Amino acid sequence: MLGNDKKSNQKGLKIIIVGCGKVGSTLTEELSAEGHDVSVIDQNAGAVQTLSDAYDVMGYAGNGASLKLLQEAGIDTADLIIAVTGSDELNLLCCTVAKRESNCAAIARVRTPEYSEEADYLRERLGLALIVNPDQEAANEITRVLTLPTALEIDTFMHAQAELIKIKIPENNVMDGKTIATIAREHSFHMLICGVERDGIAHIPSGAFVLHSGDQISFIGTRKHTKEFLESVGFDTKSVKDTMIVGGGRSAMYLAKNLMNSGIQVKIIEKDLEKCRKLSENFPNAVIIQGDGTDESVLMESGLKEAESFIPLTGIDEENVMLTLHAKHVSKAKVITKINRNSFRDVIDSMDLGSVIYPRYITSEVIVAYVRAMRDSKKYKSNVLTLYHLFNAQAEAVEFRVSQNSKIIGKKLMDLKIKENTLIALIFHRGKVIIPGGSSVIEANDRVIVVTANLGLDHIEDILA
Amino acid sequence: MNTKMISFILGHVLRIEAALMCFPILVALVYQEQCGLWFVAVAAVCLITGYLLLRCKPESNVFYLKEGCIATALSWVFMSFFGCMPFYLSGQIPKFTDAFFETVSGFTTTGSSILPNVEALARCMLFWRSFTHWIGGMGVLVFLLAILPMTGGSNMNLMRAESPGMVVGKLVPRVRYTARILYYIYMVLTVIEFIFLLAGRMPMFDAICITFGTAGTGGFGVLNSGCADYTAYQQWVITIFMLIFAVNFNAYFLIIFGKAKKAFSMEEVRVYWGIVVVAIVFVFAYTYIPGMKMEPALRAASFQVASLISSTGYATVDFNLWTAPAKMMLILVMFIGACGGSTGGGLKVSRIITALKAIKKELGLYIYPKRVQNIKMDDKSVGSETVHATYVYFLTFTLIFGCSLFVVSLNGYDFETNFSAVLTTLNNMGPGFNAVGPTMNFSHMSVLTKYVLIFDMLAGRLELYPMLLLCMPSIWKEYLKSVKQ
Repeated sequence: MLGNDKKSNQKGLKIIIVGCGKVGSTLTEELSAEGHDVSVIDQNAGAVQTLSDAYDVMGYAGNGASLKLLQEAGIDTADLIIAVTGSDELNLLCCTVAKRESNCAAIARVRTPEYSEEADYLRERLGLALIVNPDQEAANEITRVLTLPTALEIDTFMHAQAELIKIKIPENNVMDGKTIATIAREHSFHMLICGVERDGIAHIPSGAFVLHSGDQISFIGTRKHTKEFLESVGFDTKSVKDTMIVGGGRSAMYLAKNLMNSGIQVKIIEKDLEKCRKLSENFPNAVIIQGDGTDESVLMESGLKEAESFIPLTGIDEENVMLTLHAKHVSKAKVITKINRNSFRDVIDSMDLGSVIYPRYITSEVIVAYVRAMRDSKKYKSNVLTLYHLFNAQAEAVEFRVSQNSKIIGKKLMDLKIKENTLIALIFHRGKVIIPGGSSVIEANDRVIVVTANLGLDHIEDILA
Repeated sequence: MNTKMISFILGHVLRIEAALMCFPILVALVYQEQCGLWFVAVAAVCLITGYLLLRCKPESNVFYLKEGCIATALSWVFMSFFGCMPFYLSGQIPKFTDAFFETVSGFTTTGSSILPNVEALARCMLFWRSFTHWIGGMGVLVFLLAILPMTGGSNMNLMRAESPGMVVGKLVPRVRYTARILYYIYMVLTVIEFIFLLAGRMPMFDAICITFGTAGTGGFGVLNSGCADYTAYQQWVITIFMLIFAVNFNAYFLIIFGKAKKAFSMEEVRVYWGIVVVAIVFVFAYTYIPGMKMEPALRAASFQVASLISSTGYATVDFNLWTAPAKMMLILVMFIGACGGSTGGGLKVSRIITALKAIKKELGLYIYPKRVQNIKMDDKSVGSETVHATYVYFLTFTLIFGCSLFVVSLNGYDFETNFSAVLTTLNNMGPGFNAVGPTMNFSHMSVLTKYVLIFDMLAGRLELYPMLLLCMPSIWKEYLKSVKQ
């Protein structure tokens, strides 16, 4: 209840969020915590009430595409409208109406595969700032992990030129008991370990930090260098060759498409025959099995034991978790669990579920990055480009573009007074990726990735103490 | 239960009270009054107690409605307890019960007094007495919300527990700014009234105290004669501002932000002004004796109606002597009270509207038993829970009223006295009829009666439930359990 005074005093943007579902409530939580004036709209008065009780926001019940309601919610003075209702059409209509009425920026969630292929067209023609597709984003993230199955999470920067990879140090690994400086000296200077999670607490480590088995570490580098590093510390870097998906919904469609494109063999188990037919029509090379994917014998018959990876996408979190645990029990497959809801996160984290993916966080990361850039762009012109939550949102990795009048350019990093628990992890200088040392210098128009436990950086100067 | 958070809020409330006591100290300095020292002493005690309560920082910020209600109810009790100390310790009000009654009456903006001779009080005491009205009018927790950097939505529970009205909503997304806007409106209106009164040549000290009494819709004056000795102009100014402070503050918010049209179409506000006009005409008709001058009669009728509908309780004439129909009309407006979201008390106009509409709907069911009909207010459906809550509110109100009436009747006064004493305290008005009429006071009541009326005043100001919750044993069991942990 007692917040950071500086944050709450800062003048926030006026944001209207239409739709109080899972993504809507995550966004409400994050954006209101970042000090913005948030109003939420939903058809369901109960959902609005719950949300405006839980967070410091204004609630309106009704149809978010209705001009009258939007006006009541203050669309004429709003800076941004985010439409994340369950219906794509409603989302697009909300944004269209809002754009006609005021000059706010608009973000819509569009999930239907047919529309999402035309996302760029829609965005341009309707004048939207962003179109987000959590299912597509989740599929992309799952695909990245499947191509490097030893990783728990992979986030990419600068069109995948740099990757932030999270791994767990196994028993008797070479890294066990060594300091980060030693590991860098012995294995690779072209990557940087920028975050360690031990016993649920995130640390931004210095060179003297000693790693132990069981730690989860995040390191950053180019794809080539991260691969080399992983190999040198004894990790497998081969992509999986096949995968088994339970449930043939929208997320499975996006995922199957991605995986087929990267040459991974796909097997989908789906209960509904109609859906199976449609899947088979779309993916003639995939194996589509009609059956109940939560039935052990169906899974065995379909070859769970031999599968290299296993991804339950049933749409029900509890089923997904059970399926993952079962798969871990009977096979050696790489498992990825997709969690839609936000409840019981600590229980989920305490279970050994392999990689866990939260589509709602992926969506909110994109939007929060956009909002921060929006808030900042008037003042410092050093935009936030990308943002990822690390270690249960205890830390953030933020990519900035450094403007010409920034205070940090032209100085050696060791001469800058940087806040505690903050690390400059990577510099892109004229297309080159640099892992910075004390004598590195940031220049104008560079892009910089900062890993920090001081959440809520709006511009690069925020890292200075 | 999050008991630490409750102590935390209490601590802040006491610190604010200590700060507010600086104002009567200033007054004492100006008038060179010795008894001002008691304010210094009590403020110091408040500060220390507040500091002690703030020492243990709450680990968890989670704060539900029950904690909000308890924190609010306890804050008001604590505030009144410390607030009455200067009166009691200085000996200006010799009995503790009386001093406590007077302070609760001040903070809850009731204005019922136990003082037979107001003018005998020291200036700083008089000032503090009126200042409590101003503090209590908008609420000290709303003030807390406006200045404390709190995040999260759970602090809405504090506002909900303290603010009067059927549905407590926000004006802007953040509770903090909502609270600030409310206080800005409150302060600006207060200053405007003050200027108007000064312009009418009211003495500075009277103008300050009367303004506080009007703004908080309280009703403590500084003269034994109430407002009778003020000039016609001054009385008209007070009348108008009493009515203004009893309007839902949302209307002012809308006007400030250029939505005047919407403000004027607010159903509650329109009905409120309708009731005011009808009541004034009615009372005027029944008090006007042919041959009298028109203006004084109209002024008296307007002043009394405004004073009672806004739950202020100032008087310019002894309306106890009026005819029965006029008195009945006054009792009626006392029941109705002000708009929700104002500083006034009573049942609130919005509740009356909702109840009447609900009755109409029930009647409709006799004609078409399967008829489905939504109750609407300002063209928006009022949820069935809200309507239900209104029924329960009326029922609870009646129950408390009945129980209090029973206890008060033990005093042996006539029915009109007993009835109006409970009505006037539960609705935060001030004066009643007969033995508690505008020229009388509450000092002759028994100690038990005074405590019952103190409870009624607090219950009335905090919309019944927070005070009732405080009387529930299960709450205290839970409280003690979490303290032990």
